[in-house]
Amino acid sequence: MAKGIFIIVEQRDLQIRKVSLELLSQGRKIADETGETLVAVVLGNGIEGLAQTLAAAGADKVILIDDAKLADYTTGAYTSVLNKLIRKEEPQAVLMGNTAIGKDLTPRLAHRLGVGLASDCTGMEKDEKSFLTFKRPIYAGKAFEYLSSNVRPILATIRPNTFKAEDPDASRQAEIVKEAADIDAADLRAILKEVAIAASKRPDLTEANIIVSGGRGMKGPENYVILEELADVIGAAVGASRAAVDSGWKEHKFQVGQTGKTVAPTLYIACGISGAIQHLAGMGSSKFIVCINKDPEANIFNVADYGIVGDLFEVVPLLTQEFKKLVNE
Amino acid sequence: MNIIVYIKQTFDTEAKIVLDGSGKIDANGVNLIINPYDEFAIEEGIRLKEKLGGDVTVVSMGGARAQEAIRTALAMGVDKAVLVSDPALENADEWTNAEVLAKAVSQLPYDIILAGRIAIDDGASQIGVRLAEILNVPSISSILKLDIDGTQATATREIDGGTEVIEVSLPAVLTAQKGLNEPRYPSVAGIMKAKKKPLKTITLADLGMSAGDIAPKMNVDKYSLPVARQAGRVIPGEAAQAAQELARLLREEAKVL
Amino acid sequence: MATATREVYWNIEGEHWLYLLFIFALVIFGYGVYKRVILWKLGQPENRWKDVGQGIKDVISYGLFHKRILKDPYPGLMHFGIFVGFVFLAFATAIITLQADFGLNFFHGWLYIFIKLTSNLFGLIALFAILVAAYRRYIQRPDRLDNKLDDAITLSLLFIILVTGFLIQGVRIATIPDPWAAWAFVGQWMAIPLKAMLNEAQLLSLHVFLWWFHLVLAMTFIAYFSHSKLFHILLGLTNQFLRKRGPIGIPEPIDFEDESLETFGKSQLREFSWKALFNTDACIRCGRCQDNCPAYLSGKHLSPKRIIQDMKVLMEETGAAVAEAKELVGATQAADHEAAAASEVEEWTGRALIGEVIPEEDLWACTTCRSCEQQCPVFVEHVDKTIDMRRNLVLMETRFPGEAQLAFKNMENNGNPWGIGWSTRADYLTALGVKTFEEDPQAEYLYWPGCSGAFDARNQKVSSALVKLLQAAGVHFAILGNEEKCCGDSARKLGNEYLFFSLASENIEVMKGHGVKKIITQCPHCYNLLKNEYPQLGGDFEVIHHTVFLLDLVKSGKLKLSQSDGKSITYHDSCYLGRYNEIYGQPRELLKAVGLEIKEMAHTGEKSFCCGAGGGRMWLEEDEGQRINEMRTDEAIVLKTDYVGTACPFCLTMIADGIAAREVGEELKALDIAQILEMAL
Repeated sequence: MAKGIFIIVEQRDLQIRKVSLELLSQGRKIADETGETLVAVVLGNGIEGLAQTLAAAGADKVILIDDAKLADYTTGAYTSVLNKLIRKEEPQAVLMGNTAIGKDLTPRLAHRLGVGLASDCTGMEKDEKSFLTFKRPIYAGKAFEYLSSNVRPILATIRPNTFKAEDPDASRQAEIVKEAADIDAADLRAILKEVAIAASKRPDLTEANIIVSGGRGMKGPENYVILEELADVIGAAVGASRAAVDSGWKEHKFQVGQTGKTVAPTLYIACGISGAIQHLAGMGSSKFIVCINKDPEANIFNVADYGIVGDLFEVVPLLTQEFKKLVNE
Repeated sequence: MNIIVYIKQTFDTEAKIVLDGSGKIDANGVNLIINPYDEFAIEEGIRLKEKLGGDVTVVSMGGARAQEAIRTALAMGVDKAVLVSDPALENADEWTNAEVLAKAVSQLPYDIILAGRIAIDDGASQIGVRLAEILNVPSISSILKLDIDGTQATATREIDGGTEVIEVSLPAVLTAQKGLNEPRYPSVAGIMKAKKKPLKTITLADLGMSAGDIAPKMNVDKYSLPVARQAGRVIPGEAAQAAQELARLLREEAKVL
Repeated sequence: MATATREVYWNIEGEHWLYLLFIFALVIFGYGVYKRVILWKLGQPENRWKDVGQGIKDVISYGLFHKRILKDPYPGLMHFGIFVGFVFLAFATAIITLQADFGLNFFHGWLYIFIKLTSNLFGLIALFAILVAAYRRYIQRPDRLDNKLDDAITLSLLFIILVTGFLIQGVRIATIPDPWAAWAFVGQWMAIPLKAMLNEAQLLSLHVFLWWFHLVLAMTFIAYFSHSKLFHILLGLTNQFLRKRGPIGIPEPIDFEDESLETFGKSQLREFSWKALFNTDACIRCGRCQDNCPAYLSGKHLSPKRIIQDMKVLMEETGAAVAEAKELVGATQAADHEAAAASEVEEWTGRALIGEVIPEEDLWACTTCRSCEQQCPVFVEHVDKTIDMRRNLVLMETRFPGEAQLAFKNMENNGNPWGIGWSTRADYLTALGVKTFEEDPQAEYLYWPGCSGAFDARNQKVSSALVKLLQAAGVHFAILGNEEKCCGDSARKLGNEYLFFSLASENIEVMKGHGVKKIITQCPHCYNLLKNEYPQLGGDFEVIHHTVFLLDLVKSGKLKLSQSDGKSITYHDSCYLGRYNEIYGQPRELLKAVGLEIKEMAHTGEKSFCCGAGGGRMWLEEDEGQRINEMRTDEAIVLKTDYVGTACPFCLTMIADGIAAREVGEELKALDIAQILEMAL
């Protein structure tokens, strides 16, 4: 009889990723509603200290698998370990954040376990019949599908920022279990040669989720600093329109548009950009478009979801402050 | 070198999504394209062939229209193709698709298998890695760079906030991320030649599988369309006010922050 | 009175040597012609010998009457001076030859006087014109002229021939009495100092010397003719005779259903037709093409003159290599010769036409504005070669600017270069209440907004203006809506003939399906393609540009317009409307009809300066030199008008962008003619 909800917790350099805490919060709610045990599973090396944080985040039980071979994530080792653990413990559901590791690990794990996988979910609810149902976007969010499974365990990855991470409760206690890392030699096939974490946290323009972009209204290269500050608060990439690139304010690699990069972020903030069709051709598929422009007649207002008519030099710094507040909540 | 590229035909990125009478996604009149991420895989496969010799086979699953996508791949320079076409695959999930794909691929010689890291229709990003698990070969997902040296593949892979370099022994499955290369435009000579290149269509029976073998693990209970996008609005007020309201809307209404 | 005449071979003995020299010169002349013909024959066959009557008319207007040459008055008149001198002196020589060699006795009386007078007058003018030519070429040194030894030799040769001719005349008049000397006034003037300086014996000797010297120079002229720029006299006229008939600028179609075709587009010199190679010899290096090329003038490397001249050099290299191959083979049989020549082609090891002779970036820099071809006095065809080479790069090599790939894919997937969902194409117009042909099959006109008119916010305003105007005039029209695809102009002009073929075929099928007969469009590129190029694929429709249609409506009273309040405008002629289809006046008439004051930019009408978006360049980046559209906008800004008017969505975009770049948006507004008329409704 399958029991328990497993949250595969992701850590890097002994820092727990925010999405894992989000899942623990949501998992906690569902565990309370269904009477299931919420188990946090962590793999790594020297990870004992994380147990208490995970307890405070809502876990009833923390399983630590501590091994030198697990210090860095590798597909094979982690799949091997988790497969064995899950087969042994037989949870009802296994959840993980849809991060780079999540995307890489869970399909392999799912197939080794012989189960399905609902990936990149933006909604999860308990269900009478199938324990959990998941909502996930398809066609770049132009539609949604609702999934459930009769096969156990249910495996799913959840999109970061779908759920809220509640404040930790330092008084919480959890059962802490140490498991040995049972790694098949056959799974150790990949050699991790190097890891390069970008110095700038700013994501690459093409695949960024949020982009802050500046056009002719920026009036000069030195002014992009205000966009960069805004971008860094929300983890956005910075882009530019052709007018700005032509004027030499930004290099061509930042250009968004027909003759530059085509992007489709969840949020595109256009500052001082008129919205001519050449630019729209490069970002028109953005999920949400925000514009700040002092010309109310600018075409960008016709495609924006939210627009502010105003001086971007005034509005952008204020927006940065507002976003800072949001992020710190 | 025996190179296999798995491709999927998907709706065009600009396609309007509507539900038909039975609540399913309506494919009528929709323009179909090769999944853009698979184009990186095709291009990489052809480049490997040009550099190391051998041939490239494209494998795909789908209906009759999938042949258009395959012909485009052939026009780019792929040598031959296999299409698994069976009505039983219409209600497949990632498990099913991976099992069928693995069966089809196992019938071919392979040193390396390439695919796009994600399909823009289902956005699931599972099949490449599942395939590797079934075939019991290593997988590297989301690669930005690939070097082959004999039977060693070294790939630079994208991870959150950076990259890592991983080395595996072939055969292996690698999934392509945007930026791996610039897919070539098929030449007219290529398009003409493509018409004559071998395209084998097979069914589940040809693979020795029946519908019962491949029952999906996940069920799709229903589909829905998002709330109709509201007309854009201009946020009124002074700069400070407007900024505050915008932040609020982005978090609470748009839910993007 | 005694009949006016003079003795033809006076004071000359041994004139029969003349004939020997003449034959000798003729042989050298003939050999020169033969050498060039061999080069032209390196090309593929092409039938240009159609419409002989029109050809003769063209030679008369463009050759005899210098129709294009005179459009540039300074060098035009200068050349006309030399030309006229040449004509009359040739006439004189012909008469004398007939008199002396064929025994026709008419070199006397009024004919004689006429010849004397015209020879002297026009000969003197020619002399003066040659001096002007030398001054222009060597002192003024305009950018468009390059100087070769041939130029100096030719000018000197002509000059000395004329001078010696006059001197001979002068010496004769100084020696023997000539009652009609007054008619030979130059000779008469020269006779005065000659008589004063030399005695009769000296004069007689001088006469003999000069006569033979002049003769040798004249024979040199004949021999040198086919080895020098003098050949332009025949080649230029021939090129005028052979010019392409019908609407200009229609590329040759490619039949993709023909399985035997192995190559598409042209990458080797020999793939071009003999006429294309002939063009390179007909080119006289006058440089008018370069002087009017927007790419060249904005600092790109491309120069139409250089392309033609560089192809000429390659032609000569190819010819030399083929000749060498034939020699090496040592073949005496014609078949072996052909085989040797053919193998020289298959493995052409000389310089590559694309890349080495003509840099690829030059091919992409062309906007297909055809100003080069419009100004060329001898009708050299520059643009077709560019498109042929682009075809090779796109269809065979797939080596072209990356931005074009996106435009191609977008046209393939969604029927417009921006890649906006095809199912939203009709949205804007149907929201205005316009019906599709599905809904209103009885509509008289198809209104074709084109991609810009459907998707580009700036041009949607033009669509809505046009719709209002058409509705006000009671025109019954409908659109194709989502069934309309890009006309294919950008694809075709960028060299993607395959994509054009597929887009055009689909459009034609749809239009025929709806029984479309008449089309109104606001885009000159769509207009040009639908009208002049779709017939190649079986699409024959009556196509009308919106300015022409609106003018008809105004003239017939169906559209009533009020007057503007004293605003001024400068009108930018779109290349595809003006040069390609000779529609210059109608838009201006419309502007006058609403009472706008029209000022013309420096480059106007036939010389209109391209906005920079043609030839598919709308979709490409401009990396080198100045921005073409900004240069054009500067021409408008200088006039300080209220508006700059256009009749093309590309021009509108480019000029509006130029205005934004120059930050003069408050002072100058770019508007389409339809928008201007809408304001006057």
